[in-house]
Amino acid sequence: MSKGPHIQIRNVTRQFQVNGGSLTALDDVSLDVAEGEFVTIVGASGCGKSTLLRLGAGLDTTYKGAINHAGEPVDGPSLDRGMVFQEPRLFPWLTIERNIALGLENSGLPKGEKKALVEQHLELVGLTGFAKAYPHQLSGGMAQRAGIARGLVNRPNVLFLDEPFGALDAITKTRLQDELQEIWAKERITMVLVTHDVDEAVYLGDRVVIMSPRPGRIREIVPVGLPRPRVRTSAALVQVRNRVLDSLNNTTQPVPQQAARNIGESSPALRPVIAAVG
Amino acid sequence: MAAISETSGHAGPRFSWPSRKRIGIGLTAFILPVALLVLWWVASDRGWLAEQILPSPVFVYETARDMIASGEILYHTAVSLRRVVIGFAIGAALGLSLGVAMGLSERVEDYVKPLFLAFAQIPTLGWIPLLMLLVGIDETLKIIVIAKGALVPMALNTFTGIRNVSPRYLEVGHALRFSRWQRLRLIVLPGAVPSIFTGIRYGLTHSWTSLVGVELLASSEGLGYLLVWGRQMFWLDTVIVAMIAIGLVGFIMDKSLNNTETLIQRWKKGEA
Repeated sequence: MSKGPHIQIRNVTRQFQVNGGSLTALDDVSLDVAEGEFVTIVGASGCGKSTLLRLGAGLDTTYKGAINHAGEPVDGPSLDRGMVFQEPRLFPWLTIERNIALGLENSGLPKGEKKALVEQHLELVGLTGFAKAYPHQLSGGMAQRAGIARGLVNRPNVLFLDEPFGALDAITKTRLQDELQEIWAKERITMVLVTHDVDEAVYLGDRVVIMSPRPGRIREIVPVGLPRPRVRTSAALVQVRNRVLDSLNNTTQPVPQQAARNIGESSPALRPVIAAVG
Repeated sequence: MAAISETSGHAGPRFSWPSRKRIGIGLTAFILPVALLVLWWVASDRGWLAEQILPSPVFVYETARDMIASGEILYHTAVSLRRVVIGFAIGAALGLSLGVAMGLSERVEDYVKPLFLAFAQIPTLGWIPLLMLLVGIDETLKIIVIAKGALVPMALNTFTGIRNVSPRYLEVGHALRFSRWQRLRLIVLPGAVPSIFTGIRYGLTHSWTSLVGVELLASSEGLGYLLVWGRQMFWLDTVIVAMIAIGLVGFIMDKSLNNTETLIQRWKKGEA
């Protein structure tokens, strides 16, 4: 491990111009991610979590503040930083094998080596038999596996994932979370995953970053501190989950002071509990 | 009709049409032509129209047979096809380049597109008087007119295809640090292929119809010429044979392009 954080985000502010006005998506956000760490970012929609991820990946470079990756400023996308999108965004006109090979297009590796890497990553995500298939022939979970393989094939040292399992059914989602965790353990790379699913954030993350909306800020960072493999239903994990949910509820429900006090006084049981986020 | 009741009705037994399904699409396509043929036959048999205007199907069939046997119809078809192949190739190539240029560069679009759209509004046949004075009435005229017929749909569809390539795919290319050339080769062009194919099909249809138009006006051979000549001689049987040949060639061209398209774009089957 090198000294200093692997990903360093310092006082980053990002504003968007909307209809002549300006909207602050991120307001003075700072976050350090250590090498090999798995950080999850959770928050309601509009809290800027995806914006933060895109900035970290270098897909968006119009911000105030500083972002460094292994000590180098991030000023655009890099092959050292992999990216996985919510929709796998496979090119429908290419086979799975060719889609994954896109990640090596600019690697400068000789052909044979590229081929070996593609095969290796097909195997890593369990798609070996589907090399020649077209994206429309795959299920949603398989397509996202291919998306992950494309993000990993160039051996980046950090992988950014933007709600990668958001569109999948519950069973597939659970399975892919486990697979991702195995990949992370095996490849020993840094992962930053954005999600609106608290269970997912707590299950996967070494630390859970909780963001609050309007303007996007980091509200709290909760260390999970539990050994892996984790049991989804274990009391310790549920405890962390509840803590994160609590914190989130406070961020997403800016109840006016007066009203909050009134509710609290009259009937504590009526206090709104917002568990569903996003 | 069957399709409407099938989709709007219940799945119950009353609304299923198994016998129709078994007939298949291949056969249903013949119902209308055969009906028209019968109508034609009855009309000429009963003398609803003078024989000079509407010859009997049997007579037309005999004429067609003779014209095929003598090689006459084949000769004229070959002449017309040759013109279309050359004209279409030129027009499609120019249209493709223009569409790509406008699609990729907003500056080219700003400079060229308004004029191009105005140009596209003038029907192909509307160019003929001016062109006749400029290049005469020889092959050059026909080639230019045919090329123009292909150019407009080709350029417009290519342009739209390129502009409609999903920004999500482009962002993947950005994340993978694609160069301009990689972006074009790996994302933009393959993404625009379906639309370009539509352009090719429309272009070919336009080429074919404008060919017949220009042959009507200035030609001494070709299927369009055959039409004019037949009318002048009052050989309506010849006219009808030529019309059938024109329709048939156009249909075959469109159909084979369609098949090529499905073959090339196997990935599209499920529509991503």
